Amino acid sequence: MKNTSGFDSKILLPFGLAGGGALGTMWAGWGAWGWYTVLWSAALLAAAAWSVRGAAASALGGGERAMIEDYLDARERFGDAVLPIWCRHIENSRTQMEEAVADLAGRFSSIVDKLDDAVHVSSHDSGKGAKSDGSSMTEIFSRSETQLGSVVTSMKSAMSSKHAMLAKIKDLERFTRELRDMAEGVASIAAQTNLLALNAAIEAARAGPAGRGFAVVAQEVRNLSSRSAETGRNISNRVGLISSAILAASQAAEQSSEQEDKSMVSAEGMIESVLGDFRRMTDALVQSADKLKQDSIGIQGEVGEALVQLQFQDRVSQVMAHVRENMELLPALLRENRDRYAADQVLEALDGQRLLHELQKTYAMADEHAVHGGSNHAAPVAAAADEITFF
Amino acid sequence: MAKTIMVVDDSASLRQVVGIALKGAGYEVIEGRDGVDALSKCTGQKIHLVVCDVNMPNMDGITFVREFKQLPLYKFTPVIMLTTESQESKKEEGKAAGAKAWVVKPFKPEVLLGAVAKLVMP
Repeated sequence: MKNTSGFDSKILLPFGLAGGGALGTMWAGWGAWGWYTVLWSAALLAAAAWSVRGAAASALGGGERAMIEDYLDARERFGDAVLPIWCRHIENSRTQMEEAVADLAGRFSSIVDKLDDAVHVSSHDSGKGAKSDGSSMTEIFSRSETQLGSVVTSMKSAMSSKHAMLAKIKDLERFTRELRDMAEGVASIAAQTNLLALNAAIEAARAGPAGRGFAVVAQEVRNLSSRSAETGRNISNRVGLISSAILAASQAAEQSSEQEDKSMVSAEGMIESVLGDFRRMTDALVQSADKLKQDSIGIQGEVGEALVQLQFQDRVSQVMAHVRENMELLPALLRENRDRYAADQVLEALDGQRLLHELQKTYAMADEHAVHGGSNHAAPVAAAADEITFF
Repeated sequence: MAKTIMVVDDSASLRQVVGIALKGAGYEVIEGRDGVDALSKCTGQKIHLVVCDVNMPNMDGITFVREFKQLPLYKFTPVIMLTTESQESKKEEGKAAGAKAWVVKPFKPEVLLGAVAKLVMP
């Protein structure tokens, strides 16, 4: 590139002479001619500059110009070829990252939803939930305990009634004994009546014909006493049978009652045992639901933190977009630089500040400014996480 | 009945993140990819609050808020700007457009939810 300026002695000589003359005129004529001298000198300087420009342009040979143009063309083609691909890669990466983070956030959301559902179902099943529709485990347990308690109470009440009935049956034995005594009394009276009738018959026979009617009466009394004795025996027999039947029934009822008492104690023990198992199970379920709830709260906190961290993708995405947009300006800048050369034959250095200035205009975040200013690693804006302004 | 919040952000991941926070607190969420998309969804349904980004393609957040506030149905609907911008001049623009609060990203869900609970229409 040393020939691009093209300033050799052929160019510098007229410029030096014209410039020197102009400055000399300014210095010498300032006092006498004032502004007229200055204007003249300025005209001389302009003429010198124009002659140098023309000389510089004409000083480059055709081969050198062609080389410069080739170089600028190649540089422009380089920009046109490379920059779009770089930008597409950046944009593609940015898009992929955004999609991946959106997907990740969606999965976090799904985890939190499922966890909520699990906690809700578990709390409902264990009866720890705020709402109650009577179908939770603890509610079912409580209801079952009450119902089974009622069954046990009813059974105990039935047993008590049965014991009372048994006592009444035992009382019947006393009545049958009394009845047997009474039947024996009847038999005794019949025997005595028979004896009395026999004595009357003897006395009637002794009275002769006058006692014949009395003898008939005595015979009838004997017949009646025989029938009374027979009836007394029948009553006694029947009472004996009834007494035996009552005794047998009483013994059977007593045996049954003892059996039922044992069954009752056994059933009560089994119910207690089942309720105890059930209680332990519901207690474990409630503890498990509590633990799940605590773990859920912890996980939700972790997910909350993750959501804060995931937002850095948005910041990175913005920075990448700003840099990509800025890179996309480079081909136009190269083209403009080449056009300037084509128009004025002036080969200007590329102005990086223009691009950087454009880049700076896109910054939205403090850390972008910090990085631009030379910081290698701008601190994450942790404090900004709490920043909120109400209007 | 759940209240409806419109989330306007060109970043799908940010819409997701904001959506998770809001849905977790019991709000219904409708999304807009940018100002134009969001305005096309303001079709008469009740919107109790808007959470809006500032820098977006097609129509930026400040312009969106200005136009949103011109719609008679949403004149009094509160807007929270949620953005990486923290410059006072930008905040003033948001305030002038009609925003009620300015939250800087990255936000903590509880901070955003606090602002939402404070401003959401009854």
